[in-house]
Amino acid sequence: MNPGIDLQRTVVQALIELGLPAGVAKTIWLPLPMLLMVIVATVSIFICVWLERKISAAAQQRIGPEYIGPLGAMQAVADGLKLVFKADITPAKSDPWLFTIGPAIVVIPVFLSFLIVPFGQNLVITDLGIGIFLWIALSSIAPVGFLMAGYSSNNKYSLLGGLRAAAQSISYEIPLALAVLAVVLMSNGLSTIDIVNQQSSYGILGWNIWRQPVGFVIFWIAALAECERLPFDLPEAEEELVAGYQTEYTGMKFGLFYVGSYVNLMLSALIVSVLYLGGWNFPIPIATITGLFGLSETAPWVQIISASLGIVMTMLKAYLLVFLTILLRWTVPRVRIDQLLDLGWKFLLPVSLVNLLVTAGLKLAFPFAFGG
Amino acid sequence: MLNFLKQVGDYAKETAQAAKYIGQGLSVTFDHMKRRPVTVQYPYEKLIPSERYRGRIHFEFDKCISCEVCVRVCPINLPVVDWEFNRETKKKTLSHYSIDFGVCIFCGNCVEYCPTNCLSMTEEYELSAYDRHDLNYDSVALGRLPYKVTNDPMVTPLREFAYLPKGVMDPHDLPAGAQRAGRLPQDILTELEAEKATAEAAIAKDNTP
Amino acid sequence: MLLLPLSASANVALVASLNLAEGVQLVSLILLGLIMVASALGVVLLSNIVYSAFLLGLTFISISGLYILLNAGFVAAAQILVYVGAVNVLILFGIMLVNKQEEFSVIKNAWIGKAATAAVCAGIFGLISTMVLSHPWAISTQTAAGDNAIEIIGQHFFSDYLLPFELASVLLLVALIGAIVLARREFIPDAEVAQATSLTLPERPRELVAAGARDDR
Repeated sequence: MNPGIDLQRTVVQALIELGLPAGVAKTIWLPLPMLLMVIVATVSIFICVWLERKISAAAQQRIGPEYIGPLGAMQAVADGLKLVFKADITPAKSDPWLFTIGPAIVVIPVFLSFLIVPFGQNLVITDLGIGIFLWIALSSIAPVGFLMAGYSSNNKYSLLGGLRAAAQSISYEIPLALAVLAVVLMSNGLSTIDIVNQQSSYGILGWNIWRQPVGFVIFWIAALAECERLPFDLPEAEEELVAGYQTEYTGMKFGLFYVGSYVNLMLSALIVSVLYLGGWNFPIPIATITGLFGLSETAPWVQIISASLGIVMTMLKAYLLVFLTILLRWTVPRVRIDQLLDLGWKFLLPVSLVNLLVTAGLKLAFPFAFGG
Repeated sequence: MLNFLKQVGDYAKETAQAAKYIGQGLSVTFDHMKRRPVTVQYPYEKLIPSERYRGRIHFEFDKCISCEVCVRVCPINLPVVDWEFNRETKKKTLSHYSIDFGVCIFCGNCVEYCPTNCLSMTEEYELSAYDRHDLNYDSVALGRLPYKVTNDPMVTPLREFAYLPKGVMDPHDLPAGAQRAGRLPQDILTELEAEKATAEAAIAKDNTP
Repeated sequence: MLLLPLSASANVALVASLNLAEGVQLVSLILLGLIMVASALGVVLLSNIVYSAFLLGLTFISISGLYILLNAGFVAAAQILVYVGAVNVLILFGIMLVNKQEEFSVIKNAWIGKAATAAVCAGIFGLISTMVLSHPWAISTQTAAGDNAIEIIGQHFFSDYLLPFELASVLLLVALIGAIVLARREFIPDAEVAQATSLTLPERPRELVAAGARDDR
């Protein structure tokens, strides 16, 4: 396996050659990928909001934002600036401490989960052994934040919205985790790098979506429910609950919920592309292409090109899924709360259990195709 | 056992059907994305109201004979007619006339029944105001003529769908002489007149010999 | 000759980085310990039950931080998933669904109960701390399993800890089935909802109010 580009080693080496001690060099390196990832996540909010508005407009034969920035691309920035400068109101009879901490608890785990999102063999903040399990664990913290926000607002709609959000979050976590488990079963490891590497041998034919079509659908439905996207956005159902747990929030605290939801959407799309769509892999394996042209796979410029191609592929797959989400938003009407729980517990849970069982059976029967 | 299997099979079938319908819905939404936006970018572009548009009412003070027919035919007796009886001329003299457009439903009954045609409909629809009492137009305000969309240099006038040439869906960048689908009223009129003239000529021809 | 200074500098760097990591670990340990003790005290001492529940979550999270310091990433994540994501949310649900503000009548001599509780707690604390201090702890010299922990845990589950593992899963299954049985309502027979005409909606029949015959005034 070609290790690909390793920025950490290169940068640390370069810094040591500049005359810095290794410890300092490593310390200088440490925050860089984290900072980069936070910036990527934050910028992805603006891209997602812009895509959402433009695609929604196109689906409804409108134009969408047009005047702020080229093609209205700066609209989200303007909205964000507006939110920053808005008065930060804490309702009179609310609980100020919980009211402030709530949005933060919703946002922080989402950003933390970017630790394990890989953009290449070595283009990841940390290749943790528990990999994807970290994401599942962290996403289970968000309901606490919803409950906190809902409770502290001292408002019936908020409380109901918070309870709904938490109920939805924990009921869809189970099919989500079971779908992930089926993938993990095939790749013999929780690490996201291992999961992608296991899919990388046969180009597009080796991607997990062909071996786990049911798991893919379950995972995507459950991820949409986790992100509270339409058709599962009933915690914020405007018609019945005003805005759910966000009702009393203004300014940047309200903005934080939006940041959380959009980053979560981006994260889910990235994770789907890692788990099912071969992560950073090009539909045709890079090794085949280089072999065709008689190039060395370890040549520096080939490595740089393949690394950037990997980043582009990951992003492309993720944004394709975001596009699908937005399309789905204007296609499917919102479900009722009982339909939502029915779907989660009576459909997705049994189907994902059966999927897991079938995967285990297939793994025993055809170990060559299902990662024996 | 068989019954259970049948249940499972039915359930699977229903699921597949639901998935199919969602897929169809998605394709419909996707298809809509290819269509041209119908947006009229309002302050910069405006639709030309149709000729029978019922907008703000125009009132000509001098024509009014204070008969109060407009008040009687109004569903809510809205127009306020303030007149005094002049004993010398034995006529009513109108002192004030007002209509509150915050209450008016623009049904056009007053215009229909006004015996002297002093009321008429205009194409003005931009009636927003900061105070609802500002919508209570007096006779002076009612006598103002609206600014036409086609005369405003700031605004790109756009034709409504019914006024576009046959098969055209986009009101932007129409060729200069583009005529709407169907025959125009004046065409019909000239045609009728020509028919009438030929008929008369024929009658005259019959009578002469 | 050329290698010597290089390796020496690398050595120094290694020591420096070790020091950095150790310092970070020490500071994290102290911080996590402080947060854990403070939030655990808060759980017990605060009168607002909602605060107690949220602080319980904080305690669980700081415990999971301690697991991370012990190189047990899987246990830490499982701690968050199970205790914060499930147990704590369940407790919060319980509190918020039964959130009835009630003023309890003041009991005379309530301090006796509190004092007794404090005494018992202090006694248990003293016992445990003397036990901790007096026990000759054998510190394992083995390095932590780290990322391999998952496999080791799995092997233990399916070999020497099979019985407890299966017992726990059977217990959970029993609880699951019990919950379903409790939650399942018998269906109301269709005969009760007599649909007289196809045009009326199935709703509770309203009492017709006779005009002028209001007996409530």
